[in-house]
Parts: sequence; structure tokens; C-alpha cells
Amino acid sequence: MTQKKSQQLLSKSRLEYIGFSLTLACVALVALVVIALIFMVFQQGLTTFFSDKVNFFSFLSGPHWIIDDGHFGALPLIVGSFSVTLLATLFALPIAVGSAIFVVEVQPVFGRKIFQPLVELLVGIPSVVYGLIGLYVVNSSMRTVFGTLAGTGAGILSAAIVLAVMILPTVTTLSIDALSAVPNAYREGSYALGCTRWQTVWHVVLKSARPSLLTAVILGMTRAFGETLAVQFVIGNVEKSMPASLLDPAATLTTALTSGLANATTGSVQYHALWSLGMLLLAMSLIFILIIHLIGRKGAKVNG
Amino acid sequence: MIDGSVSRRKFLSVLGGASTAAAAFGLSGCGGQNKTAAGSSAKPGTELSGSINCTGATSFQNLVEDAANDFMDANENVTITIGAGGSGQGLSDVKDGKAQIGRSDIFAEQKLDPKEAQALTDTPVAIVGMGPIVNKNVKIDDISTEDLKGIFTGAITDWKDVKGSQTEGQIQVINRKAGSGTRATFEQAVLNGEEVPTSFKPVAEEDSSGTVVEKVSQTKNSISYLAFSYYDDSKFKALMVDGVEPKNENVESGEFNIWAYEHLYTKDPDEVTQAFVDYMLSDAVQGSLVEEDGFIPVSGMQVKKDAEGNVSKL
Repeated sequence: MTQKKSQQLLSKSRLEYIGFSLTLACVALVALVVIALIFMVFQQGLTTFFSDKVNFFSFLSGPHWIIDDGHFGALPLIVGSFSVTLLATLFALPIAVGSAIFVVEVQPVFGRKIFQPLVELLVGIPSVVYGLIGLYVVNSSMRTVFGTLAGTGAGILSAAIVLAVMILPTVTTLSIDALSAVPNAYREGSYALGCTRWQTVWHVVLKSARPSLLTAVILGMTRAFGETLAVQFVIGNVEKSMPASLLDPAATLTTALTSGLANATTGSVQYHALWSLGMLLLAMSLIFILIIHLIGRKGAKVNG
Repeated sequence: MIDGSVSRRKFLSVLGGASTAAAAFGLSGCGGQNKTAAGSSAKPGTELSGSINCTGATSFQNLVEDAANDFMDANENVTITIGAGGSGQGLSDVKDGKAQIGRSDIFAEQKLDPKEAQALTDTPVAIVGMGPIVNKNVKIDDISTEDLKGIFTGAITDWKDVKGSQTEGQIQVINRKAGSGTRATFEQAVLNGEEVPTSFKPVAEEDSSGTVVEKVSQTKNSISYLAFSYYDDSKFKALMVDGVEPKNENVESGEFNIWAYEHLYTKDPDEVTQAFVDYMLSDAVQGSLVEEDGFIPVSGMQVKKDAEGNVSKL
């Protein structure tokens, strides 16, 4: 009966055809958006070098970013972005892996039922809230700890601390997944050889979860690298010259881009230079994604 | 288990990539949020109809918004959309025809090519005065333009070298972002054409006046500058400059030199746009709204300023 009905409405081959075209259309749309996006960013970003004649190498290595005076050196921004990202990862990683070990190896019930939802709550907090808390709490504690050395309290260290809290849930959740994915047979084998729990965790579980842990780190870094709003509150936004210490105010590629766009007029060198920053960011995120894929492939090989 | 973890990882990787990409386009910032108030029911007999899009500087957005609401109440067929975005965006939008009115707190000549600037019509609708402010711990009431210039070019770094100061210690300079209208005005009036050396580094460069208020009130030995409308004696101390108090009447008389026009820029305005610009200059706005929102009416000024910052008597 039902078969007969569907035959009346649509023939089988027609149904096949519709399903095929629908899914193909989805893929085509996504591909189109990605290609259009990359094309637009590169087209605008490359204008700086081809028609405005800014030297590409001095753009990458110049120590001053003062676009209103014709200084197009993105190095302070690149250094700012990388130093906050690396520092934040450095702060977040031990805590994330430590809690992942506790959750997976020590107290799975507490971990899964209470701890993990708690950590995932952090993901839902908007970055502007992190920024405000950073402005009032982190910056002022910097002033209290370091005194006049810290200036307003804004700087690379403050930004790294705020970012560390922001990427903590990503890295923690992924580390938990990475450790739970290690087959139980490995642990049992280790215990059978007479290893203690700590020895098992250190030498067996962490080692075999390494590719997935690396993925967790890279994803955390991607998030830290792209974060704009929260960083803008706490880093001091001094784009013009190189930060000399961790307490020095600085700026990142993303903060320079957002605040610069409000003041640049379309078609000007300044406007194109900001697009070049966007191009740089896009290239960086493509590299991050590439690394994740490489690690994934290597991990698949190791774990079979 | 393994399946679950893989799919979550993939999901997060998409998220991470997307957030980087979004940041690359400045989408995740304080982008153009539009406020629309629509005049709805059509009434026979009202002459003006049409819509105006106005983007640009945030510094006097509230003034234009207030005036636009009154204007729409009086003309029901007119819709005025007020967007943010900064002076640069306001000038770009009106130049490219994306907006009928661009708000700017600096002259178009300071931002655009001379040719592009010439195509725009400038209507100053208000004046804003601004002055230096310091943290309350700094014992000084009056500062000379010469010392201000020294501080904001990095030549003077300690409060003990500032005339009239009884405080010692490193000066914490909090600047506004390069390209901000407030900074352009302050530097034009104070630096006298002197270039800021690339080596000079402030302790912070802030995007908004609100953050400047916060930072100056919290940071000892700090100095910055703000528009008069942000002045708050409970949080920081406003300084006299060369013995002149930062007051509206001193700006009007020309004694206090740090001030700027709030400009509306138009390009070949249509009838509705022109009517709204004229309304901004009418007594209804100049007589009450301008002062209510903390600005100085154009009509009271006894001096004028050109794009190069030269001041002359009217």
C-alpha cells in the first residue's frame, strides 16, 4: 500500500535524483562561500603590496604599526598575537591535562556528571564578559602586584591570563575525550605488568593519547589567536611599537584590525593594509587547520 | 566513544576556524549596529517622505539620534536610520553612496583625498570641547600647552619636570587610538604640528572615552584627555590649560583652544536629507538638544577653525 503510494507520488529514480541534487547543492554552496571569502580577503589584502607598493617583507618585519603616518610594520602585532597565544596555552595546558587525568582516571563519575558540565559552562560566557572581568580584576591585580611597572595593568600578561581561562574549556573537554579514547586494554596491560596508577597514566595513557592532546592544544591556540573583544579590553592596544616585556601594553592582529577599520576610509592605503592583516590571519588559521589534519593522520597511523 | 569524540573534535575545529575567520573580518567586534525607528502610518498632506541612512562617529551619535526622533515625529513618512562605525566609516559610506549622511568629528580633508573631500558638503552641527585630565593623586591644577606637548611626544616622562606639579614619579600616558577624532583634535591643538616620534610609547591606547575614564581613575600618575561631556570630578581631575578653565564659554570665546566641530557630511543631498540637515541647524536643535547632550551650539562661537587647525575670529 505505502509502496504503491510513493510510487504514485515520485518514481524511485526521481527521488534518487532529488536527494542527490539537494546534497550537491549544499556542498556547492559551502564551497562557494569558502572560495569567495578567501578570494575577497586575498584580493583586498594583496592590493597593499601590488598597487599601494608597500614592501611585503617590510610589512612582515617592520617594527612600527602607525598606519596614519605610513609605517606599515605588522611585526609588533604578529609578536603580540603569538606571545599571548603561546602564553595562554602554556597556562591552560597543565591545568586542562591535570583535570582530564583526574576526570578519566581517578573519578569518572564526578568528572562526567559534575566537573565537565561545569567547565563547559565557561564556553557559553560571551567574550565581552571575559573582557570586562579582565579589565576590573586582572588589570587591577597587575597594578597591585607590579606597581607602576605595570602601568595601567594592561599588557601581554593580562591578555594571556584572560585567554587562558577562555580556552580552558576547549582544551579540557578535548583532553578528556583524548584520554577516554585510549583503549582499556592498554591500561590493563600496564597494571598486569605491575605498574602503579600514576605510572600507567604517565607512561601509557598520556603517551598513546599524545596526537589527540596535540589537537586539543592546537584548537585552543586557534581560539586564542582569533579572540578579539576580550583581548581588546585588557591588552592596552598599543600598536605602534614592539612590546619589550610581558607587562608592556601591546596589540594583536585581530585587535588592530577591528579598531583600525572604524577609522579607515574605503580605498585608502590604511584600509588595504588592514585587509592585509586579515589575509595574514586567514593564512594563519589555514595553517592551524592543516596542522590538525596532519596530526590526525599521524595519530590514525599510530593507533591503527 | 571514539566516534563521539571524533565528531566533537571536528565540530570544535569548525568553530575554531570560524571564529578566527570572523575575527579576520572584524565581525566579532562592535560592528555596525543599526537602530531603526520607522515612521509608519502614511498621512495625507505631509510633504516630506523618504529614508535617510546616517553612519559614522559615535561621539555625537546620541545628539543626531535625538534630533532624528523629533524629526520623524514631525514628518511621519520619513525614516532615519542611525548606524555606528566611526568617523572613517561615516566618510567612506557617504563617499561611496552607501549613506546619505556621514558623521565625522574630523574634517574630511584630514582623511580623504582632496578630490574626494571636495565632492562632500560639510555642515558643522555642534562643537565639542576637550581637555587634559589626570588621576586624582597628581597634584597639579594648571598645565601649559608646552608641557602637554612634551608629555604626549615623550620628551617629558616624570611629573617633577612638569611646571606647577608637586608630584614626582613616572607619567603614565593613556592615549586614544590613532585615527580617533578626539586624538586628532587634541594633537592638532597641542602638538602644533610636531610629529610624535615612533619611539614614544604610551601605557595604553584606548578605543573609547568610557575606557579612558576607567583607566585614568584607576591608574596613579596617569594623564589623558576627554570631551567635556565625560568630565566627572568624582573619578578624575580636569586640568586648566595655560590658566584657562575647560568650560564651554571659554571655547566659544576662543580662549580655550582644544575643540572640534561635529560634522555632518553629505554628497548631492536629496530633498529629505537636506531638510534634516537644515533641521539640525534650526533653533529646535541648536537651542536645546545640543546643550542637553553636552555640546556647544554653532551659533555661539566667536571663532572658527579650518581643516589645518588655524583659528580665526569670526
